[in-house]
Amino acid sequence: MADELRFDGRVAIVTGAGNGLGRSHALLLAKRGAKVVVNDLGGSHTGGGKSSAAADAVVAEIVAGGGEAVANYDSVEDGASIVKSAIDAFGRVDIVVNNAGILRDVSFQKMTADDWDLVYRVHVLGAYRVTAAAWPYMREQKYGRVVFTSSAAGIYGNFGQANYSMAKLGVVGFASTLALEGKKNNVVVNTIAPIAGSRMTETVLPKDLLESLKPEFVSPLVAWLCHESNSDTGGLFEVGGGFIGKLRWERTQGTVFRLGRAFGPDQVKARWGEITDFGKSEHPASVTESMAPIMANVEAGPSKGGNEFIDVDLALGYQFPESTSRYDERDLALYALGVGASRNPLDTTDLHYTYELDEGFQALPTYAVVPVVNGILDAGRRGETAPGLNFGLDRILHGEQYTELLRPLPPKQKLTHRSRVKAIYDKGKGAVVVNETKTFDEEGELLAINEVTTFVRGAGGWGGDRGPSAEVNVPPDRAPDAVLEDKTSEAQALLYRLSGDWNPLHADPGFAGAFGYARPILHGLCSFGYAGRHVLKAFTGGDARRFKSIKVRFADTVFPGETLVTEMWKESETRVVFRCKVKERDKVVISNAAVELYTEVPQKKSKASAPASASAAPAAGAAPGKITSGLVFEAIGAYLTKNPDVAAKVGTVFQFKLTSPASQWTLDLKLNQVARGETAVPECTLELSDADFMAMTEGKANPMKLFTSGKLKISGNVMASQKLDFLTKIDRKAMEAAAAGVAAPAAPAPAASEAPAPAASARAPEVFKALADRLAANPALAAELGAVVQFNVTGPDGQWVVDGAKVTPGRNSAAAAFLTLSDEDLAALAAGTADAKALFQHGRLRVDGDVRVAHRLGVLKNS
Amino acid sequence: MGRRVNVIGVGMVKFAKPGASEEYNVMASKAARLALADAGVPYAEVEQAYAGYVYGDSTCGQRAIYEVGLTGIPVFNVNNNCSTGSSALMLAKQAVEGGVVECAIAVGFEQMEKGALAAKWTDRTNPLDKHVGVMNDAQGVNQAPFAAQMFGGAGREYRWRYGTKKETFGKISWKARQHANRNPYALFGETLTLEEIMNAPEVFDPLTRYQCCPPTCGAAAAVVCSEEFARRHGIANPVYIAGQAMTTDYGSSFGDSMMKMVGYDMSKAAADKVYAQSGLGPKDVQVVELHDCFTANELITYEALGLCGEGEAEKFIDAGDNTFGGKYVVNPSGGLLSKGHPLGATGLAQCTELVWQLRGMGDKRQVPNARAALQHNLGLGGACVVTMYRRD
Repeated sequence: MADELRFDGRVAIVTGAGNGLGRSHALLLAKRGAKVVVNDLGGSHTGGGKSSAAADAVVAEIVAGGGEAVANYDSVEDGASIVKSAIDAFGRVDIVVNNAGILRDVSFQKMTADDWDLVYRVHVLGAYRVTAAAWPYMREQKYGRVVFTSSAAGIYGNFGQANYSMAKLGVVGFASTLALEGKKNNVVVNTIAPIAGSRMTETVLPKDLLESLKPEFVSPLVAWLCHESNSDTGGLFEVGGGFIGKLRWERTQGTVFRLGRAFGPDQVKARWGEITDFGKSEHPASVTESMAPIMANVEAGPSKGGNEFIDVDLALGYQFPESTSRYDERDLALYALGVGASRNPLDTTDLHYTYELDEGFQALPTYAVVPVVNGILDAGRRGETAPGLNFGLDRILHGEQYTELLRPLPPKQKLTHRSRVKAIYDKGKGAVVVNETKTFDEEGELLAINEVTTFVRGAGGWGGDRGPSAEVNVPPDRAPDAVLEDKTSEAQALLYRLSGDWNPLHADPGFAGAFGYARPILHGLCSFGYAGRHVLKAFTGGDARRFKSIKVRFADTVFPGETLVTEMWKESETRVVFRCKVKERDKVVISNAAVELYTEVPQKKSKASAPASASAAPAAGAAPGKITSGLVFEAIGAYLTKNPDVAAKVGTVFQFKLTSPASQWTLDLKLNQVARGETAVPECTLELSDADFMAMTEGKANPMKLFTSGKLKISGNVMASQKLDFLTKIDRKAMEAAAAGVAAPAAPAPAASEAPAPAASARAPEVFKALADRLAANPALAAELGAVVQFNVTGPDGQWVVDGAKVTPGRNSAAAAFLTLSDEDLAALAAGTADAKALFQHGRLRVDGDVRVAHRLGVLKNS
Repeated sequence: MGRRVNVIGVGMVKFAKPGASEEYNVMASKAARLALADAGVPYAEVEQAYAGYVYGDSTCGQRAIYEVGLTGIPVFNVNNNCSTGSSALMLAKQAVEGGVVECAIAVGFEQMEKGALAAKWTDRTNPLDKHVGVMNDAQGVNQAPFAAQMFGGAGREYRWRYGTKKETFGKISWKARQHANRNPYALFGETLTLEEIMNAPEVFDPLTRYQCCPPTCGAAAAVVCSEEFARRHGIANPVYIAGQAMTTDYGSSFGDSMMKMVGYDMSKAAADKVYAQSGLGPKDVQVVELHDCFTANELITYEALGLCGEGEAEKFIDAGDNTFGGKYVVNPSGGLLSKGHPLGATGLAQCTELVWQLRGMGDKRQVPNARAALQHNLGLGGACVVTMYRRD
């Protein structure tokens, strides 16, 4: 075999090679070209006697087979002599197979010190001596292959083999370190644990089995591990009877006792199941990996403490299972009614929160807390909580609430919530737990962040972190800049609870009575919603889309029917500090509160699928399946996202004011955003009817024609409106799909502009052929052109020369005029549907040389 | 007709690229002081000032003139697009002509931004919307700078009508650079070959980059006065304004002709009025400063001013009748194309050049025997001012 693994030029030492495994290894290596030192003391397998016969026989067998070998009769304890034999005979040593061994099997009770020592000396000390003598040669030549021989008895234990087991596992550890030390000098060290019928196993295995476990089933692994092409090192392999497998260490994930917490035998016993559970395990392969969990615990530092209610170490940072929820316009409207919007149906200032067909329908942003609190309540009802939080709902009060929106809530959405225990504070008597929930939209983009701060009565006192204590959002010492009030309805709590907070405290007079309330109380988050709405009304003119965040502290109880007065102080363009009072009792019910605003309406980052959905409520009267201007703007957003170069090139903020039905859109090509309403100061405003807009985007109406006919009013930068030609490139298919309510194809051709033009077949050849025919038939016509004319036709390209009556493909650099035009325009000229002068003025017909030749392009006409 | 109005002092600063100039007030006050020094008249004698500029907040004129003196005189800020400078001059001239004042100064300046002209006020009706509409009907609109589309479109219309070669437009740039090379005040003094001009990137067919004037910063000024004032100050034989007329758009601007949209008829009518006022015809003129914002406009304006017959511009150019040795020297300064075009300053820089020419102070670019000089300054939107200067 030309490509068999060869050992030519290599010198191998095999100890204990007179019989069994050693002999088999030696014969195989020699057969494959290695020069072999066949070492064997010639004694019995229990260490008695000494003879040269066994080694000589193997050498003779090798030489007879055409190989090279020398015999060595030294004890492995005299390893240096064995290695010297190799150097003397062959000048080097490349391979050491530590195979020699003896047995002194006896039950431990009867085992003598001699039994122990002898087994140690042959297996461990012998392997050491031989390897130590060969090591400097291997290091020097930067090449070496060492195999140690271990045994299942060492790995797993075996009756009567305490000494042997000790020795056999001893070489495993020995080899593991040699493998590390040998690595940089290309010395590869591995260990085998063979099972084979040999003199040594005769005593422990049944005879018939021994015969089928031939040494020849082990030697191929040894040879491979010794081959120069093997670089795997530090391995331990079980081998025999045709099986080869590799061993590694496995460790349970175990358990960790936080430093500073109680740690004694009782705790070990308590955690025994965890400590011994291989259901969760790992496979450390180095000391570093072995140390990892230990170091982690040390680095984690002392425990954060806790008590029977709260185990801070367990609870803090706990990630709750992900949950989902969905809402739609109805939920938003119901919520808005629940927090007092549109109390007077004739007052339309809040109608955009409560009427989904309103032009500017918006989600009241404080709604973002509702699905989160509903989730917490549902989990509580199911008894689910974070580990280490061992208290019931009866102990808790909603202390503070922070709600932040990354952008306006879409009119409907499926939400995914990821919650964690963000902070735990020891307030002495009570404790404070802050749960943070991040809410993501359907596309996985972060939409809202809520922090629910709960006060847990009687759960503090473990001496832990007290948390921030500074008073925040304290109103300045002056009259409020705005005050708005709303009388709540007697049934307000009953209305609000329909948004999901089912707690009977807000509905059942008996239940409320049990808590010491004369009647059901209003939800704190209901007052929160009132306050948020008041701030928006006072400082954004009710445009909820600029809402960024709200932070409140719930200071006192409100009863349905009371009047909520929100006092507001404008701290900056983006920040309003406020508090809420109950008018009738002049009590502060919400304190330390502030709303932050965005200066501009924030937009969704990944607008790929639904750029304008943040505010794209269905337009009034929009029939399903019909493409609406809203869908067109969504598609424009998608197109612009896919083609960022368009925005980069145009760089203008356009505003579209559409009429019948009315809607307003901002195409911000500075930020590459499309959104409903006026989200940026427009540089160019276009006012036109919805229908004309649709016609324009379909390419059925020319914007400048609309402009000159007065149907399109452009203010601002008129010229910028000329950069809107990309509007005709919007993918209609995606819009149609969106209109039909199905997802657009995953990879829609983004725009006609990118797709190659339909492979129109060239019309120029026909035009010129017809011209040639006509000129041939009518010399007077040929004279009319009066000059040599070169036509350069584009898309598909082609060149023709018309010279008198001759029409030929090709070029003529001496032509009087060079006309460049598209195949399509040429065909149109021939058909009489285009006018050469108009084409020229539009720049579609370019003429170099004598322009007047182009006056006579009537000759192209087919008639 | 009122009194004869003399141009007794002129001055200008060397034009510079946007970003490389001094601020408007510095440039303008320098130009005003140069003009006053040229006239030999102290600022205290100036009774009114007309300050022209296009880009800038209100009362930049005062801010600039205050650096010359704080005498409390009326200062009028004038904004008339590219014809701003000569509009300011015309108001100063009218004030003297009508006997309101004896001496007035017109200062024009502009501190421009880089890049092509663009609308500044985008929240209101664009004053050029009707012009843009004409263009759209005639040739559509693309993304080239709008002025290049308008004047280039006029060039297309002319080419179609008369079969003019593209190179003929390029030759105007070639001539402009030849002239500018002799003018230390020009922004682009290096000459170009016709090949370089024609091979430059196309801005809008038929215009290549070198056929479009650059955005420029600069200032220029002129002091005008009555005969009596000149006599009192011992100014002998000054250059005077023999005729001056401004026209704005006629109905023909909004028809279907690009040439007329960009002001062909305004130019023609203004020139005719000036010829009638001055009693001089084109043939009496030796030197012309003509509004060559684009080569196409210079070409069609030869005909509007009657320097050659209609359709004869190519022949006129090929004969060299627009440069030294020909019938006229058009734009000895290098024109807007090479000297630069700071909108508000241009009209007064043209005036400065022509006054120097008539005084024989044209240096290396002096037009021989210059006795009558014609100025043409045009702004889209629109206004065209044509002025005939003379020196006895």
